[in-house]
Order: sequence, then C-alpha cells, then structure tokens
Amino acid sequence: MEFDAIVLGTGLSESIAAAALSKAGFKVAHVDNNQYYGGDEASLTLDELAEWADIRSGRKDTPSSDYLATQKERYTSISRSESIPPQSRQYAVSLAPSVVPSIGSHIDALVASGVSRYGSFKLLEKVAVYDRPGFVQSVPGSKEDVFKSKALSLIDKRRLMRFLMFAAGEFEDKKELEGKEQMPFSQYLREVFSLNGKAVNAIAYAIAFCTTGEEHTLPVLRRIRQYLRSAGRYGASPFLVGHYGGLGETAQGFCRTSAVKGGTYILGRRVLSVKASSLADSLEVEKAASDSAKTAARYEVQLEDIDEQLTSTILLSAPDYVRPSAPITSSSHDVPSVSHAHYPIARCIAILEHPLVFTPVDAPEETPAPEVEESIEGVEDELSDKPAPPNYEVDTALLVFPPGALPDGSTTTAAHALVTGEASMSAPRGKYILNISLPLPTSDPSSPKELLRPYLEAALSLAISPSSPETTPTRPLFTVFYTHNPPSGAAPPSTPSDSGAILTPPPTQLLPAIADVATENAEAMFWKAVEQLKAAGVRRSVVKESYKKSDGEEEKVYDERKPEEIDSFWPPLDATEEDSSTADEW
Amino acid sequence: MHNVKRVRYSAEALAAQRQREKARLKEFQSLTGEVLARKQRKDHSREAFDLTTRLLQINPEFYTIWNYRRLVLLNGIFVESTPTQINDVLSDDLSLTTTLLKQHPKVYCIWTHRQWCLAQVPDGPTASDRNGWRQAYWNKELFVAEKMLEADPRNFHAWTYRRYVLAQMPVKRPETADLAFTKRKIESNISNFSAWHQRSKTLTSLWDAGKLDKARSLEEEFDLVRNAMYTDPNDQSVWIYHRWLVGPGEFVIGDDKGLLEREVSSIQELLDIQPDSKWCMESIVFYKKLLLRRHGDSLGDDERGKLNSECEELLGSLQSVDPDRHQRYVDLSRNHHIV
Repeated sequence: MEFDAIVLGTGLSESIAAAALSKAGFKVAHVDNNQYYGGDEASLTLDELAEWADIRSGRKDTPSSDYLATQKERYTSISRSESIPPQSRQYAVSLAPSVVPSIGSHIDALVASGVSRYGSFKLLEKVAVYDRPGFVQSVPGSKEDVFKSKALSLIDKRRLMRFLMFAAGEFEDKKELEGKEQMPFSQYLREVFSLNGKAVNAIAYAIAFCTTGEEHTLPVLRRIRQYLRSAGRYGASPFLVGHYGGLGETAQGFCRTSAVKGGTYILGRRVLSVKASSLADSLEVEKAASDSAKTAARYEVQLEDIDEQLTSTILLSAPDYVRPSAPITSSSHDVPSVSHAHYPIARCIAILEHPLVFTPVDAPEETPAPEVEESIEGVEDELSDKPAPPNYEVDTALLVFPPGALPDGSTTTAAHALVTGEASMSAPRGKYILNISLPLPTSDPSSPKELLRPYLEAALSLAISPSSPETTPTRPLFTVFYTHNPPSGAAPPSTPSDSGAILTPPPTQLLPAIADVATENAEAMFWKAVEQLKAAGVRRSVVKESYKKSDGEEEKVYDERKPEEIDSFWPPLDATEEDSSTADEW
Repeated sequence: MHNVKRVRYSAEALAAQRQREKARLKEFQSLTGEVLARKQRKDHSREAFDLTTRLLQINPEFYTIWNYRRLVLLNGIFVESTPTQINDVLSDDLSLTTTLLKQHPKVYCIWTHRQWCLAQVPDGPTASDRNGWRQAYWNKELFVAEKMLEADPRNFHAWTYRRYVLAQMPVKRPETADLAFTKRKIESNISNFSAWHQRSKTLTSLWDAGKLDKARSLEEEFDLVRNAMYTDPNDQSVWIYHRWLVGPGEFVIGDDKGLLEREVSSIQELLDIQPDSKWCMESIVFYKKLLLRRHGDSLGDDERGKLNSECEELLGSLQSVDPDRHQRYVDLSRNHHIV
C-alpha cells in the first residue's frame, strides 16, 4: 500500500501533523501500536489504564517490539492498586494532564483546523496554593481578586497590581527588565517589585507554573503575559480543560479530521519493522523524480497481521517507535524544539470519592446575595435570600505545591495536582480524578510512591471540609504511581542531508504549555514534511469542485497541485453544517 | 462581533452565503410591504398582529412596526378580550421582548415596548389581590434588568431601567439590597462608573431617611474606596467617588479637618509607592486647597504657607506627568481660589 507519508504514533503532535498533511492533500497512513488514540497523551478508561500500567511494568506479558521496549524505559517504577473500581468506562484519565491557555497556538490550531467543532471544554475553576492541611491560599490572578482579598495589605495590593500590569504589557523594553532577563525569577520578584514570600510563591508557581524559582526571568514573564491575556476570553480563568480527558480526546479529534480527508488509520498492530531505502537508491530516486512525477517509496513499514507492507515517501514518527539501533536516520536538528528542561517526573493518578474543597486560609468576605440589614425594622422581604455560606468545593481545578510547602516534600521543586470531576466529563458523578506531577531535577532512589505520598495526603486533607462533621479521612479508590522519563537525548545518528525521518521533538513538561508546544512541534514537523515531499516531487490531491450527480451521490473532482502552493498550516475551512453563526446575523 | 475569531472560509462557501442572504433580503422586503399596507388600511386583526411578530423578529429596530403592533393590541385584540386574556397576551409579548433583548440589548424601542406592556397590565388576578399580576411582572423585570447587568455591567440602559423598575414596584425592595448589588458589581470591575453612581444615590437616600448609621457607613465606604485606589490608582471613577464621599462638609461627626488630613496622608502613602500617579497628585492638591478654604482660619500662617507651597510643587510635577492638561495645572497654580 503506497502512501505519501506514514506517521507512527497517534500522540498529540503526530495527530496534528497527520491532520495537516491530510488536509493539504497528501495520502497519509497513521499507525499506532496501542488500541487507542493519543499515545503518551492518551485518555484512558480505568481498565485501559490498568492494562497500560501492566504492559509497561512487565506484569502482563506482551509480544515485544521496539516501541514497547522504549515505553518500558519511558515509564518506570510502576505500581497500581489491585482492584479496579466499578464504572471503569466512565472515566477518562489523562496520561498527560494539562490545561490549555485560551490564547495560544493550540487554540488557534483547534479553530483553524475545524477540530474545535468536535470537542468541548471546561473552564478551569480555580488555581490555589496549598497552605496547610485542610486549607489553601487563593491565588489572586485578576484585579477583582486583588481588590476583594482580605489577606493583602493595601501596599501589598499595590505592589502585586503593579507587577501584574507590568507583566501583562510590553515589558521587553522597559527599564524594570533591562539587564535582568537571566536573573532567577524569584529573586527578580523580590528585588524589582518588592514582593514577599507568599506573593512570590503565588506568582512563580501558581501563575507562571515554574518548576523551580531559578528559571530565567524573561521566558517566565512571557508565559505570565500569555496567561494574563488569556483570562477573560472564555471566562474568568485563562485555562481550558478538554472534556473526556483532555489532550487524548483532542488528539483523537485531529485523527478524525485526518480520516475525513482520506487518512488511513491502523490501531492496535505492532510495528514489526521500519526500513528505509539506502542512500544510493534514494539519490537515484531523487534524480528520477526531478524528471517525472513518479515518486519512489523510501520507507517500508511492516505491521503485525498485515501482509502487505506500507510504503511511503516520507516518515514521521514519535521517537519511541524508532530505536537508535534501527536502520533509520533522523533529519538534522533543525526541527526546533521549544521545550524546557527535561527531568523525570514522578506521577500519581488517584480516584477520589469526595471533591476537593479549596477553603482559603483568609476567606475573603464574600459579598452575599441581597440580604436584609438589621437596621431596617420589620421589613419582611420575600425576595431576599439569606446569605448562603460560601461553597469552596471544586470540580475541575489545580492545586499547587510550591517548594517547601510540605515538611516532607521537595524543598526545591514545585508540584502540581490537577483534579477533574464530572463537569469535565472525565469521571462519573461523585468521583474525581487527581493527577499529581513532581519533576525530579536530581536523581532520587526513592520510588514515586514514596516521593508523592506527602502530596497525596495533603491533597486528601482537602477532600473533607474543615467544618464538616466527617472525621474519617477519605482514601482513594484506586491509585497508580510511576516515573515518567524524558526521551533519552541519544538521538538516532543524523545525516547531513535533510531527508531523514521526521521525529517528534520532545514535549515540554510545563503543564499549561504542553498543548501549545505540541502544536508548535507539529507545525515544524509539517513544514519539514512538505519540504521533503516537494523535493521528492510528490503532487497533492485537492478537491477542485464537488457536485451532485443525477443519482444524488456527491462527486468530487480532484486537482493535482504542487506542494509549493501550500502557504499556511491549515487550509480554509469548508463551510459545512455549522452555518449557524451566519444565521445569527438576523 | 467581539471575540469571535476570524475563520477563513473558502470562496465557494462565501458565494453560497451571499446567495442565502439575497433570498432573505427579498423575503424581508415583501413582508415589510405587506405589513405597511395593512397599517395603512388600519387592519387590527390577529393576522396583522402575527405578521408584525415575524417582521420584528427579523428587524427589531423598526419602530414603526412596534407602534403598529401597539395599535393592533389596543384597537383590536384587547377590545375583545377578558382581563385574563389580556394578561396572557401581554405575558407573551414580554417574552418576545426578552428574547429580542438577549440579541439586541441596546435597542431603545424594545425597551419602550416592554415598559408599555407593563403599564397595560390590568388589575388582577382577583379583586382582593389587584396588584398580584403587576407585582409578579415587576419582580421578573428586576430579575431581567439584573441579568442584563450580568452580561454587560456598564450598560446604562439596564441601570436606568433598573432604577425605573425599583421605583415602579408596588411593594418596594429595601435599598440595602442595592448596596450589596452595587458592591458586587464594583468588585467585579472597579471601573464601573454606573455602579459607583448607583451606590452614591442609594447611600444618599438611606442617609436622608435615617435608615443607616451615616458615620459607620462612611467609614466602610472610605475603606472600600481606599482598597480600590490602591488596586487601581488610574481609575477615574474611584477618585470621583472619593471626592463625593469627602463631600461638602456636613457630617454627623464634625471632624472635617481631621478627615481631610487623614485622607491626604493616605493618598500620600499611595503616591510614595506609585510616584507617577497623576490622580494622587491632583487629589492631594484638591484636598489641601479644600483644607485651606474650609479651615484656613484655624491654621497658622506657617501651616498655610506650607500647604500652598506643597500644592505648587505638585502642580509643577503634574505639568510634566500629565502634559495633556498642562495649561489647567498652570491655571490652578495661578488662581488660588479655584479648586
């Protein structure tokens, strides 16, 4: 079976690239060893999650493959609860918990590709910093929060506002930044904006999502600016969480778009071998290609249980499918990687039966709904409600542990915990998924379970409201612990030519940046792919017109176009059923 | 429309869209022709009424058709209906305006039609409860006005309408509820001049009626406005409210001088950490001049001279910090009695 491009792995970047290539008119075959979409960003039911864990821990015997061998290095020290809770299929657990900023490359791609029509999102409700058992510090992220806060003095309010206004504007030329672009961020906040410990923690770890306070100031400021500007676009919070498990569902949406445009999908078959034609052959082929439109296959992929090999002109692949020993060369490193530092991450996924309650340490005085003042005698107003006690329960929220937040936690690194419940369509009613990540900059012999236990306990302390009568602490219904290791940096040997396989650059570990970086990586891969296809003389098939035949069937006439004419990542959208936006004009 | 991302449509899609628009335009024009013809003939039938509904749903700004609709109701439909039936018709019409307001919140004629409907509500439902229907509608009105303010808290139509509703209710709501309402609006957007304004009206009314302890209430207001000042010193509405609070000087607790000095020092502290704040500087000048004007007699020559030179200095700085109003500051420093 001949294709223009074969894509190995249906992770987020690969799926976005496959969709873009299909939409551009290329023939794409998209393959994944797993039975599900999403690769390392997949959303899994609890049964799938248990199986995922067992396969990689070796507990479940599975036929070997390069992919699996790499995955076993990617995910280590895996442990899980024995019994799987009921209603397993109603859960969508994300292997890559993330929040998507309302302004950024990922949202742009969702809209421009039309995939936004397939998905829906929940606005993140709150971000809070853990303070002590049962209590959090609310994070003022907007003018309103700062204004209402009872915890901040007037002067603190001014200083905090001054920083937020600065960070939201064009700071690149301002004197407050001059010469300090590389300064450790926490130091910068203290020296230039006179902010104290609590404010520094809130800003660095709960607004900027730094891993440590040592990150350089300029990139952190840029992140903060993106998030501040994202606030208010769809609601108060800057962040969205995808329904049905976040990025895995989104990856699936891109795959669907690719399939609609003619992409071929093969899931659940092991990749047995990947071969490239030799350099000599390829040189001959390129010469021939310049003379005629005939393209010669350069890659051959053999899949389990499928007799015919898949062949293609170019190959895109998640690095886990291509071992360094494999006879594949990767393209030279001009696919820019925009990721940040790469450490192993200790992760915990826990299923809870109670919601987390973000009770603030200094509860701001909530102005209640209309109330009756005592100074009015005897006026009974049926309209007024008695002020309701404020409800601090959250469904979809983020809990931040700055360095040093826990006596037995990390003193140098921040941990982030994302909780999602029914409202994000990732759990059945009354159940919640807690996903904790702790980067490990220095190697630590302790298991992820030991490292994360204090964080899990701290989060669980919030699962009971301090004023509620329940005294028995809640326990999780199910837990999985593991260490997530970054790609090993030993890249397959690269050749001087630009014609090797296109490997997905490493993802970032920064929770709010995962989607944007994956999108930017996908775009880089797309342009590289187009370049290679152009060099090989491949034509693309674009719908020139479509009309209804006499028997009512729709007929499409295709036009063959050169890759040179591709001028954007996504082509214009077809106007389809969703013309409802124009109907509103009246 | 705001915040709707521009999506690129293919040329075929745009052409198809234009075709559809042409068809709609034709429909609109023929409908308009027919309705106006009926109006000419003084047709007050049910049929005419339904046609106006269709037309208004397409173009709710067509005030002639609203007028015609009212004529049809008065001269046609109401004439042959019982009070209950009239009430039902009005209820439907109010629903229509609600739907239209959601898409067109600032169109005057929809608001006026709504008010007209409310004024038409007959006594009922029973002889003993003659205001029942009215009270229900006015309650709902308040809810609608406040819902509009959720969507756009600075829509002055909604604020004005809300005041109108509160005044029209057969059984009035306590004004203290208004304090909570305005406070919430201010918290969500300090820049909401309408909310501060409404608050000042409510407070005045409550103080005049003796329903609120003025001294304590004033302290709370100063606290509120000071928080706003520190959160956003650039917001004009905050300073204007502050000026209103400091007021013409008739207080229950008569230490106007102490109050002025205290406020000046609080604003000075803010100026110290925000040295470029023009509003701080201008307000300090304003209040110091007020001190001089009201209490100049009780101050010594030295103190008066000091206050004057401090004002001069600030006015000098203001000329460079706020060059757009350069001349005003020059004038202010020349004419000491102008504040």
